Amino acid sequence: MTTLLDVRDLTVQFALPRQGFFGPRPMLEAVRQVSFSLEQGRALGIVGESGSGKTTTAMATIRLVEAAGGQVMFQGEDLLQLDDEAMRQRRRDVQLIFQDPYSSLNPRARVADIVREPMDLMEIGTPEERRARVTELFRLVGLRPDQLNLFPHQFSGGQRQRISIARALTTNPKLLVCDEPVSALDVAIQAQILNLLARLKAELGLSYLFISHDLGVVRHVCDDVAVMYLGKIVEMAPRDALFDAPQHPYTQALLSAAPSLARRKSRGYVRPVKISGDPPSPINPPKGCAFADRCPKAQDVCRKVQPVLEPIGPSRVACHFPG
Amino acid sequence: MSALLQIEDLRVTFNTRYGPVTALDSVSLSVNAGETLGVVGESGCGKSITALSVMGLIPSPPGKIAGGAIRLAGEDLTQASEARMRALRGAEMAMIFQEPMTSLNPVFTVGDQIAEAIMLHQKVSADQAFRDAVALLDRVGIPSPDRRARDYPHQLSGGMRQRVMIAMAVSCRPRVLIADEPTTALDVTVQAQIFDLLNEIQRDFGAAIILITHDMGAISEMADRVAVMYAGRVIEQGRADDVLDLPQHPYTRGLISCIPALGKGEDTLREIPGVVPPLHMLGAGCAFADRCAHRAPRCDSEKPLLQAHGHHPVACHAVAEGRI
Amino acid sequence: MTEATEFKAESPAREAWRMFRRNIPAVAGVIMLTGIVLATLWGTFFYGGNPYEIVWAPHEPPGVTPEFPLGTDYLGRDIFAGLVAGGGPTLAVGAAAAAITMVIGVSLGALAGFYGGWVDNLLMRITEFFQVLPTLLFAMVLVTLFSPTLFTIAMAIGVVSWPQTARLTRAEVMKIKELEYVTAARAIGARNRRIIWTVILPNAAPPLIVSATLTIGVAILFEAGLSFLGLGDPNTMSWGLMIGSNRAYILDAWWPVTFPGLAIFLTVFSVSLIGDGLNDAFNPKLRER
Ligand SMILES: Nc1ncnc2c1ncn2[C@@H]1O[C@H](COP(=O)(O)OP(=O)(O)OP(=O)(O)O)[C@@H](O)[C@H]1O
Ligand SMILES: Nc1ncnc2c1ncn2[C@@H]1O[C@H](COP(=O)(O)OP(=O)(O)OP(=O)(O)O)[C@@H](O)[C@H]1O
Ligand code: SF4
Ligand SMILES: [Mg+2]
Ligand SMILES: [Mg+2]
Repeated sequence: MTTLLDVRDLTVQFALPRQGFFGPRPMLEAVRQVSFSLEQGRALGIVGESGSGKTTTAMATIRLVEAAGGQVMFQGEDLLQLDDEAMRQRRRDVQLIFQDPYSSLNPRARVADIVREPMDLMEIGTPEERRARVTELFRLVGLRPDQLNLFPHQFSGGQRQRISIARALTTNPKLLVCDEPVSALDVAIQAQILNLLARLKAELGLSYLFISHDLGVVRHVCDDVAVMYLGKIVEMAPRDALFDAPQHPYTQALLSAAPSLARRKSRGYVRPVKISGDPPSPINPPKGCAFADRCPKAQDVCRKVQPVLEPIGPSRVACHFPG
Repeated sequence: MSALLQIEDLRVTFNTRYGPVTALDSVSLSVNAGETLGVVGESGCGKSITALSVMGLIPSPPGKIAGGAIRLAGEDLTQASEARMRALRGAEMAMIFQEPMTSLNPVFTVGDQIAEAIMLHQKVSADQAFRDAVALLDRVGIPSPDRRARDYPHQLSGGMRQRVMIAMAVSCRPRVLIADEPTTALDVTVQAQIFDLLNEIQRDFGAAIILITHDMGAISEMADRVAVMYAGRVIEQGRADDVLDLPQHPYTRGLISCIPALGKGEDTLREIPGVVPPLHMLGAGCAFADRCAHRAPRCDSEKPLLQAHGHHPVACHAVAEGRI
Repeated sequence: MTEATEFKAESPAREAWRMFRRNIPAVAGVIMLTGIVLATLWGTFFYGGNPYEIVWAPHEPPGVTPEFPLGTDYLGRDIFAGLVAGGGPTLAVGAAAAAITMVIGVSLGALAGFYGGWVDNLLMRITEFFQVLPTLLFAMVLVTLFSPTLFTIAMAIGVVSWPQTARLTRAEVMKIKELEYVTAARAIGARNRRIIWTVILPNAAPPLIVSATLTIGVAILFEAGLSFLGLGDPNTMSWGLMIGSNRAYILDAWWPVTFPGLAIFLTVFSVSLIGDGLNDAFNPKLRER
């Protein structure tokens, strides 16, 4: 297996508005030294609470958000070092699907043009070939060619997500970043899209960087899972290890909080791990473990020393008291 | 004995540019004190409209209650005057909305807003109402409630805002509490906290809760009974265990089997093909017929009615005829 | 109308057109404006009467002599001839000024909104500078510095009124630039220029079209104001000029100022009815589900 993507110490900072007229600009560190790698043909899931930096990590990886530091080795080449034109050319290999099927398609363009646009921009093929490819992609994602000339608002949410997927596939990318691709869809429609993504992965050998807050979805789609908390990866493991033997207390809390059909009120289900409160502010992250304030296992050392990712079995966990 | 809240054959219509459409048709639901009724269904199936009908908050025009009854302890709310409804709202029944930010007033502190809600229905002094508000904030698990009571909504996190909404909703100990997707905007860990809170509150003073959600997992954890809605109708209703373990309607079966489960990683999910038909295109038959694997000619010509079958009522010709 | 031709291809625009057609005041505005435009076209190209020629006794009241249905002015010139001949220049100044306003305002606003940072800072300081100038005074200075022709008047109006359009455009662009379909365009490798022109601006168009319509009305009033102050182009008949030259005798004869005033009022009124109609038609909140 070849490594497609190798991210090292990726860091992203956002400058916030000045405090007062002459005050300093506080920095928000949305992604703090995140490292992960992704093999060709596999799917890496990123889960975590809202604001934990999932989207920012993914966007910085494909340079849609500027990184403050780190390396993104894509097929042996550091994307962060490319000049603008070289990066523009690279975009054919890294594509993106958004969460919101309503806001990610230009409402004033016909869907055939939306799907064809990447080929126009990259100057791939003749006009005839481009048109044929659009029709082929439409079939591939389960849309009808007679819908080619419609506008986005004439489609349902699930169909729009199929259009985004078709657009992302136009240039034969190697990596597809999916940012909550099914969160805005009803479960029945969600299943259609998840099956489509699974089929494309198998047929086209795509690799996914797959962001979701739905653990069931991640378990279904991903081969490996990274759990983020306040801009850091706190646990990273192959799928089954993560779901069957979560090591980090936050992962455990997340798993026990996710609603599941197996837990019945009638059977007197009571949640085993309860955590209270909200995550701390990313503007002044705590010195020690970011989860310490909410963690049932926290000790003094947790508040003082920041844990780093250490291997435990197949997993890598950043916790002083894992397991 | 009839239930605390009983909705009978409710029909709600909307005037749209396609002409009048029926958003709710023959909806019958009931919920008892101390019980949680879960209402599930795809977006647009009429869950919120059902809740708003109970509260007397259907936007009218374009909407109107065109038939049926909503009885709260025997009193028909569809016949009640607006003054009577105002007295009941907040006191006897209360509602929690999906987006707490838009349902709180941004220019008042949360303490003042809860106190205001208390004073609307109880004869207490402003000071007493504010003290009650602080106690309520404490009750719903907000840390340092006396300080937080002086905060404005935007100073609170989403989870805290939803707690404030709950505090406001339960300030007069309503007998019916309707929660319309109360956790959709929240993280799972915070959602778990809100669910636990709703359960505690129910235990404390025996409110009947209607929990609207599109998440079968949430239903499983929270509900005693379930109603599944599709295109403005209840298509299956029963005890949570019965409906979740032995779903009968093809739609409910599909809905349950297309959820990627936490416990196992299967290869392909069952999917329900197609999409929900828009309300103005509903025909004479079953609204689910186009997506259904058990469709028969009768399904296209005759609307299936909710009929007891096996453990619980279901509206499907195939089930009624014993084909599934 | 230019709006109507833009509607034909685009389906979201066609939806707006459908909404617009159901708006009775707006349709009335279109009919009124069409009537005014046709009348001025007819006046410019077919009506024989010379608006400068002294044809009758001064201050002949309207409705007395059938040849001069609207009466004559202080020199004895035909007011009806003045109205139909002056309509063309008036409307042309209005449209040209609005076009200049839009070109300057939209380009600067789009650059400021899209690039942000120092570009935005610089452009916004310039905008503020123009915005705090008293517009009428500034336009007067411009018109007196250069000779008052229709073109310089339109320029002057355009130069003083673009800041509002620039701010509106900037706000729209800043809003739309955050939307996902713009990120989507970047993700497929589109360059900035393409993103601004083919993605952002078409989506920012509705409020800008509305504002352009309203700017036409404002520009017509502005031209009338300048003419009223005696700063109009004395060689071109316009409604403003008619009011300006007759204003001294308003107590002796009401009609020489009233009829051009009415014409201006009707034009501006119909244009703002259309503007409001477009606003409603583009405003998705008013569309039913
Ligand atoms: N453009 C920005 N400017 C300032 N702060 C930002 C910006 N974008 C994101 N942030 C902050 O960075 C942090 C990480 O945000 P991010 O969107 O990556 O989270 P996420 O995990 O994707 O959350 P969600 O589940 O809500 O999508 C948050 O605290 C967010 O407020
Ligand atoms: N003001 C309105 N005018 C016309 N139709 C309406 C209006 N409000 C709701 N409807 C229609 O009534 C139906 C039921 O809507 P409702 O809001 O109850 O759905 P829901 O089940 O709560 O969906 P969601 O999960 O998206 O909240 C929808 O098809 C909707 O289009
Ligand atoms: S009634 Fe017919 S169409 Fe409807 S769900 Fe049952 S079998 Fe399917
Ligand atoms: Mg995100
Ligand atoms: Mg709803």
